[in-house]
Amino acid sequence: MKTVTLIALSLSIAIVLAFTAAWSQDDMTVVDNAAFNNPQRTPSVFVHDEHNETAGIDDCAECHHVYEGGKRVEDESSEGQSCSECHDLQGSGNQPSLIKAFHANCKGCHQEQGKGPIMCGECHIK
Amino acid sequence: MHSFYNFVSGPLAWVAFILFFGGSIYRIVSMLKLVAEKERFIFSYMSWRYSLRSIIHWIIPFATVNWRRQPVLTVVTFAFHLCLLATPIFLLSHVVLWDEAFSISWWTLPDAVADIMTIIVILGAVYFLVRRVTQPEVKFVTSVSDFVILAIVAAPFITGFLAYHQWLSYPLVMCLHVLAGDIMLAAIPFTRLSHMLFSPFTRAYMGSEFGKVRHARDW
Amino acid sequence: MAEPSKKEENKVVDEGIDVGISRLTEEKIQSVINSVIDSETGARLKAYVETCIHCGLCSEACHYYLSHDNDPHYSPVGKVKQTIWEMVRKKGRVSPEFIRRAAIIAHTECNLCKRCAQYCPFGIDIAYLISVVRRIIHKLGVTPLYLQDTAHSHSVTMNQMWVKGDEWPDTLQWQEEEAQAEIPNLRIPLEKEGADVMYSVIAPEPKFQAQLIYQAAVIMHVAGVNWTMPASVGWDNSDMAMFSGDNELMGRLKRTHFETAARLKVKKIVMGECGHAFRSVYDMGNRWLGWSMPPFTIVHAIEFYHDLIKEGRIKIAKKYKPPITLHDPCNVVRGGGLHEKARYVAHAICEKVIEMHPNREHNYCCCAGGGVINTGPPFKMTRIKGNRVKAEQLFGAKTKGAEVLVAPCHNCHSGLHDIVHHYEIGLDIKFFGDIIYEVMEKPE
Ligand code: HEM
Ligand code: HEM
Ligand code: SF4
Ligand code: SF4
Repeated sequence: MKTVTLIALSLSIAIVLAFTAAWSQDDMTVVDNAAFNNPQRTPSVFVHDEHNETAGIDDCAECHHVYEGGKRVEDESSEGQSCSECHDLQGSGNQPSLIKAFHANCKGCHQEQGKGPIMCGECHIK
Repeated sequence: MHSFYNFVSGPLAWVAFILFFGGSIYRIVSMLKLVAEKERFIFSYMSWRYSLRSIIHWIIPFATVNWRRQPVLTVVTFAFHLCLLATPIFLLSHVVLWDEAFSISWWTLPDAVADIMTIIVILGAVYFLVRRVTQPEVKFVTSVSDFVILAIVAAPFITGFLAYHQWLSYPLVMCLHVLAGDIMLAAIPFTRLSHMLFSPFTRAYMGSEFGKVRHARDW
Repeated sequence: MAEPSKKEENKVVDEGIDVGISRLTEEKIQSVINSVIDSETGARLKAYVETCIHCGLCSEACHYYLSHDNDPHYSPVGKVKQTIWEMVRKKGRVSPEFIRRAAIIAHTECNLCKRCAQYCPFGIDIAYLISVVRRIIHKLGVTPLYLQDTAHSHSVTMNQMWVKGDEWPDTLQWQEEEAQAEIPNLRIPLEKEGADVMYSVIAPEPKFQAQLIYQAAVIMHVAGVNWTMPASVGWDNSDMAMFSGDNELMGRLKRTHFETAARLKVKKIVMGECGHAFRSVYDMGNRWLGWSMPPFTIVHAIEFYHDLIKEGRIKIAKKYKPPITLHDPCNVVRGGGLHEKARYVAHAICEKVIEMHPNREHNYCCCAGGGVINTGPPFKMTRIKGNRVKAEQLFGAKTKGAEVLVAPCHNCHSGLHDIVHHYEIGLDIKFFGDIIYEVMEKPE
């Protein structure tokens, strides 16, 4: 009896995982930090689809924004691009640096919503 | 935790910084006013040259007779104070917060180095504590306040260290850290931690008296 | 206070202190302490009390602490803890017994030598804090009897030793006659207006050590100095009021001294081999009178001899043979930077100079200074036991061959005499003047 339960359990987990993978754009669990040379912190934990589901975000442009001349362009989104294509490590003028952009995007929203991680170690989990 | 964290790192941090900077300026200005009122003569003995001569000797390890007599303490106290001042200022996580809040940022320490410096401060505090309870000449002049100020100084480092390593309950430790940091900042001008503010003046005055009047070294 | 002091065992009796204490009430104590703190102190007291980090790093500076096997009651910060800290903290509400202890600590367990100011990382001036305590003790009328007696003498006679008006010129005349037996045309010029130098001494010289005046007169004569001494008050440069906390009297004394020099229209004041007098004339008294630096050029004997030898105005016939060691008096070395000049003189007049360690501005005090020796017989052992390190230091020099100890200061002389005697070190103690007089070229 015990073995049956175990097999059934692992099977159902496998199925759920398989479906999840099929639905999502990718199976990301952390934010890609390849753009940082010598990163000081672990990459931020971020399970894309689960996050958006809990947060109730449907519009990609909510996060994948496009700015032109310091103004957010409505109805345009940038999900195909990597953040670092616009935000370099230094930042310039109105363009925040990559770190700051990430922090503003995630933490900024969490602060506005009063929900979600806001302290370093809540995202950069050791 | 959101609102508590936001409180201690927001309004309370403002209060702490205002108390720190405002309090420091207030303490120094009122002390100088007191000199002007009651001991004006002090100004006429002050000399830049001899003040600096004295201060420079005393802020260099082993440059004075007494630093040389106390080699262990000298190494500890210089490491302790250097790390104490440098770590919070050049800590990546702090600078990130400054950047987010005021769009100002500066050079930062690698986290691994800052972590070691934090350990140095904590060990330094332990050394001072041990010294305080074991050395008779220190014990004799110790009062409760000495332990309190030592704890006030050690607390941000201990909690910061725990937070960085995400040991114990992270959000709680983080909040305690910021609270401890606020307390320390606010305490500096109003406790004997104010030696940070006044020691340059007392040293400069003694240096000037020794240099200008006594023609002798005060180190 | 929490910790009883170890030396309550051998409670000394001092009539000045004990009778003074018997007259005190708590109200009186409180009002005096607060009036001194409120109206006579300011930023220094506040900064020193509030900045001290209680680290104890000043301890090893103090010869009392070292001599009492590192008993913290004797550390500089330990002494302010037992006195002024408590007074400040309790806003003056301390008991007569506390005042008794404070009087003993401030008057007999600190020489105001300021060595600790060189060891405290913040440069906290413990000697100043102890002076504030002495001021309070003075205003409470609890000053040790012998010290107060010298202050009374100052007040009545304007000299420290009850030397009467006619005794002074008589003594000078006597010494002049003595010296004329050696050098017939020698004079001790009195009241010579417009002389270059007014030579001033401390009252113990005419009282007990008149030969020092004789020797000085010979040196002046041979060097051809255009000098004079006052015939009336103002000749004594000593000042125990400075140490008893009687600042007003200190002011009177120094004003008289400076006014005498002004009356004689001299260019500078040269003073004998005395340390505390130098402190009074050069550093303390002038300030009380509002002069940031003294109104006259003040030349201590060490510097004076240095200049005379360097300029060739006195020549050394034959250097002094016995090896000497040199004690650096706090008041002219840590207080006046004369250590190198003292060494110049020592090497010029002696064949062999053996350094004691520590030396120069780090030298140990003699434990007589700061008015402590003037607290007299009741506290003689306090001084001697409080300076065992000095004995060890002297013994070190003796081991290296020193036979004579040169101490260019009266207080040091007497204090070191007691130490050398008690610890049986076997060193002869001399002034520079003694040796110079002996080895200089004199007219046939
Ligand atoms: C408004 C006050 C403060 C805030 C908001 C703040 C915030 C932070 C943050 C977010 C971290 C990073 C924790 C992590 O990596 O998870 C941190 C670490 C740290 N903070 Fe603070 N801090 C404050 C005040 C202070 C003060 C006053 C000091 C010291 C004087 C201090 C010393 C440290 C140290 C030593 C660390 C840990 C370094 C390590 O072990 O790597 N902080 N602080
Ligand atoms: C920047 C100017 C400063 C100077 C020149 C200075 C100097 C000193 C010195 C000379 C000592 C006594 C020697 C020793 O025990 O190590 C000391 C002790 C100490 N200082 Fe500082 N300090 C400064 C700033 C600070 C700051 C900003 C803090 C903390 C907020 C601090 C906290 C301490 C502590 C906790 C001790 C040890 C006291 C003990 O023995 O328990 N200092 N400092
Ligand atoms: S005797 Fe000298 S070293 Fe000792 S406490 Fe007094 S001034 Fe400081
Ligand atoms: S060394 Fe200075 S700061 Fe330390 S206890 Fe002595 S007086 Fe206080």
